[in-house]
Amino acid sequence: MAFRFACMHFLFFSIAIFWSSASADLVLSKVDRRIDLTSHIVRVSSSIKVENAGSAKVSELLLAVPDFQAKHLAYLSASNNEGKGKTKRSSSPLPIEIVQADGMPPNLTFYSVSLPKELEKGDNLLLDVFSVFTHLLQPFPEEITQADIQLLLFQDSALYLSPYEVKFQSLTVTVPSPRVESFTKLPNSKIVDKEIKYGPYENVPSFSYNPIIIHFENNQPFVVAQELVREIEISHWGNIQITENYNLIHGGAHLKGGFSRFEYQTRGRGVSSFRYLNVRLPPRAHSVYYRDHIGNISTSHLWGDSRKTELEIEPRYPMFGGWHTSFTIGYGLPLQDFLFQSEGKRFINFSFGCPMDEVVIDNLIVKVALPEGSKDISVSVPFPTKQWQEVKYSHLDVTGRPVVVLQKNNVIPEYNQYFQVYYKFNSLALLQEPCMLIVGFFLLFVTCIVYMHTDLSISRSTPSYLAKLQLEEVQATVQQIQKIIYQCLSIHDKLDASLQEMPRTGDVQTCKAVRKAADASFKEHVKELTTLLGFLQSSPQATSIWPKVAELVSKEKEMQEKLMLKHTTIVDSYEKKSSGRDIENRVAGIQQKLTSLRQDVDDLLDFLDNI
Amino acid sequence: MATAISSPVAVEWYPVQAFFLIAVGLAVTAYFFIYEATSTRKSRKLSTELSAALVASVFLGFGTLFLLLSSGVYV
Repeated sequence: MAFRFACMHFLFFSIAIFWSSASADLVLSKVDRRIDLTSHIVRVSSSIKVENAGSAKVSELLLAVPDFQAKHLAYLSASNNEGKGKTKRSSSPLPIEIVQADGMPPNLTFYSVSLPKELEKGDNLLLDVFSVFTHLLQPFPEEITQADIQLLLFQDSALYLSPYEVKFQSLTVTVPSPRVESFTKLPNSKIVDKEIKYGPYENVPSFSYNPIIIHFENNQPFVVAQELVREIEISHWGNIQITENYNLIHGGAHLKGGFSRFEYQTRGRGVSSFRYLNVRLPPRAHSVYYRDHIGNISTSHLWGDSRKTELEIEPRYPMFGGWHTSFTIGYGLPLQDFLFQSEGKRFINFSFGCPMDEVVIDNLIVKVALPEGSKDISVSVPFPTKQWQEVKYSHLDVTGRPVVVLQKNNVIPEYNQYFQVYYKFNSLALLQEPCMLIVGFFLLFVTCIVYMHTDLSISRSTPSYLAKLQLEEVQATVQQIQKIIYQCLSIHDKLDASLQEMPRTGDVQTCKAVRKAADASFKEHVKELTTLLGFLQSSPQATSIWPKVAELVSKEKEMQEKLMLKHTTIVDSYEKKSSGRDIENRVAGIQQKLTSLRQDVDDLLDFLDNI
Repeated sequence: MATAISSPVAVEWYPVQAFFLIAVGLAVTAYFFIYEATSTRKSRKLSTELSAALVASVFLGFGTLFLLLSSGVYV
């Protein structure tokens, strides 16, 4: 490995000699690099002071990254640092694009940063460049036993690799623990606690490369999600449902030999493994679940306050190097926290990356399922992603829900930025689901109606069939008669009530009017009854109940007569100004008869009801 | 200015709504089936049947929707 670096070193130097710089006007007057190796994600932050030493104006700066690092580059940003000292503040990120520089040495990838303003002769500018690499740390040894600690190799250059001359530079590498196996010793290099310092070095020519290797202990959880599929499903009935399918692996040194649960639990052997994962969910997350193909995984804890919800999950086994696990996390979120409306369009504002700490995601797929009937879909993501659309069928869907799919490789926590999906949706389309349910139920009822209305008899001329038809007709007639009798009885009640009212109000006219109306309706009912009774009498099926019906009708008729008599008597007596007691005595007999008749009629009605 | 979008009915009310709508729906359904069973071919009226069926299905439809929503099946 050292040989490889030496070759590279030679290569760069030799090329630098022949390369005549087109951008030689720029000089980096000061470069401060800090490399953070405390987790399995390598973060490099450089503060670069650029100076224009030439006469022409310069508007872009080239950053060089060796190819072996560039393929692991997950994130690169540059911003203009305008303040000084403690009042440092960075402006918005500057646009960066990958460029194919002609006449430049091979094995290097160049990124061009557009400067916020053109640099005149003698001007200088302070830039903050932040880059993140994944899978750059190599476990060495590559296989360890359960009791071993995990050691990693990191390779870089002590000198800042740049197409420009660097006047003054220094490098600080932070490691997670003071236990460093070895590091390349150079002039001006030293280790202080958890920091390894190189430099300062002065007046280094362009493309200088001085390889260093740091071999150090790192037992931080190497959580790598080989694939993470996040599904965000919007329901305008008040919920956003998130489902996250993880396929995790411990990306560190592989476990050699067997795993002993006894050693792990009694002696705490297994420092290189991890046991818990922390998931930071948005506030007000509800209905959280954690399961895999087998079912619910009970080793999880959830707590939250108004600002966040924290979920601590424990996979089914402690994760050692090279071990896989896959599981699903799901939760619901209130709609109003993430869905907004602006200028006639609705949009969801949601976080892109994984809600876990320090996870590298090799392949992240974010699916946003919009409600059925969404139109004019557009996506706004602050960084480049692959995008396409799918259709998903879920509960009560007809045409399917449009799904926006975003895909990105090599995702790190720095990509946990908000993205937006804009779409148009008519609120009336909300009623589609209930309408489908209503139609479903209605069809059920209609089926019942059709069943009751269809005649499924095979032969329509058999005697039994005809008898059944006749019986049904008789039943319908009896029901009609009963209905008429009930109507008559209610008229009786009305008449009675008007009679009782009269002595109190003294209004004879109203009483007479009620009587007149009653007479008219009785006459009508009698007409109806005559036809119905005629049919019943002639029907052979009705012979059994005919006497009862006839009795009912005659009793009711008698009741009518008695009631009329009572009415006439009372009204007459009242008009003759007889005393109350006198009237009572006169109608007492009639009243008694009426009561007994009413009893008989009620009994007969009950009897007919039960047939 | 972006305004937040919330559900047409407060989510907390879904269980109560589901209960009452389904209760009314089942009552009307019961009336419908009693009517079907007790009326004869002659006395049955199609309009009564259809209107009872429609009222019952509207209540049952919305009731089922809110039952689904309150049990966490967001359609």
